[in-house]
Amino acid sequence: MTPDGIWIQALAPARGSRRNALISRPWHHEPEADLYMKDDVGGNAGKARFQALCQALRPDLLRFAFWLSRDRALAEDVVQETLLRAWKARDSLKNESAAKPWFLTIIRREYARSFERKRLATVDVDELIAREEPMLAAAHDQDLAELRAALFKLPEEYREPLVLQVLMGYSTAEIAAELDLSTGAVLTRLFRARNQLRALCGEDTSMDPAP
Amino acid sequence: MIDCAEYRRTVLADPRAASPELAEHLAHCQDCPAYSDRLLRFEARLERALRIDVHVPRARAARGGWLAMAAAVLIALLVGTLWLGAPHASLAADVVAHMAGEPEAWASTNVPVPADGLAPVLAEAHMRLGPDAGMVSYAQSCLFRGHHVPHLVVQTARGPITVMVLVHNKVTEAQRFDEGGYRGVILPVPGHGSLAVLAKGEGEDPAEIESLAARVKAAIVWTG
Repeated sequence: MTPDGIWIQALAPARGSRRNALISRPWHHEPEADLYMKDDVGGNAGKARFQALCQALRPDLLRFAFWLSRDRALAEDVVQETLLRAWKARDSLKNESAAKPWFLTIIRREYARSFERKRLATVDVDELIAREEPMLAAAHDQDLAELRAALFKLPEEYREPLVLQVLMGYSTAEIAAELDLSTGAVLTRLFRARNQLRALCGEDTSMDPAP
Repeated sequence: MIDCAEYRRTVLADPRAASPELAEHLAHCQDCPAYSDRLLRFEARLERALRIDVHVPRARAARGGWLAMAAAVLIALLVGTLWLGAPHASLAADVVAHMAGEPEAWASTNVPVPADGLAPVLAEAHMRLGPDAGMVSYAQSCLFRGHHVPHLVVQTARGPITVMVLVHNKVTEAQRFDEGGYRGVILPVPGHGSLAVLAKGEGEDPAEIESLAARVKAAIVWTG
């Protein structure tokens, strides 16, 4: 069984993140859905709830995986594998409000595994940017596209905590726990991330303190 | 008191950091307020940049030949329809992301936008706004998903609410959302896309926002 099927009332976790979405949506009546609906009639509401949770979180999970990998195809693979693993281990998720960090931790592990499995070759960053141009493009906003390209150029050790902080709403302590770093190390990485990013974007960094 | 280097090092690591020491430095420093403003503007752009549209069609074929492609199709069938419905989430997320770029719009004020400033913004969406909508304190024509749309702030008894007239974005039914510290609703407007109405703060009552949204929607006079 997989976490697909019906997608009903989407419930995002109530974790501290400022950016979590809680969105009501209608039924999407898929052929496979009937099976699950019958299951639910039988009292398996937890399954539907888990599915709804996956759907609500998936856009942010994909964004996180994309910025981590800088590769949309790989990001999709990692998220799909993450959802399958999460489904198998769903009983270990005791508190729905902790779902997002739970998923993100699985994504990070899956991403690391993808390196082990595929022995990914080093690719020139300009080639990555060109390959992912449709994802980095921003309609009528060239500055935004350039900022996205600059994010691709940030080293992973700076990019990852920055994404966790800005996109996922993690606190410094939460990032430190996720990345197994001290809070001081996280703050240093975040400082360097913005310092480098602003320089890459041509921002005036003359007033920035020395790293 | 902390010095400029320490202040800037702290806010570069976390532009939303807040402490009495930071506030005290900011109040007494000549240069750091401008530095902080620039950084916050950059931060708003950064947040928008990270919030990529995950629904952009794939531009290239799957790697690894037919076997990988077949596996991908199988997985897609199994893991399935997770993408379905997500455009709704994206629309709400994009509206919220847009808010980050114009924080000044949220000021509570009793100064209305002059009629000759409001009319051109509304005319772009082929609409006028009746007096029942409330006092409009902010009106800009904003680029949203490739189109210029009216971005308004209406002052209400419970504080300012933002209204975005999304004439190019249809929704089939009302969608409540709670994201990024904003609560709101996107209402369908048959023949004219949709209307996003949101308030700042997690304590906002969704039903009240929906009621305000319905009031604004009813006050719109479509001219085209």
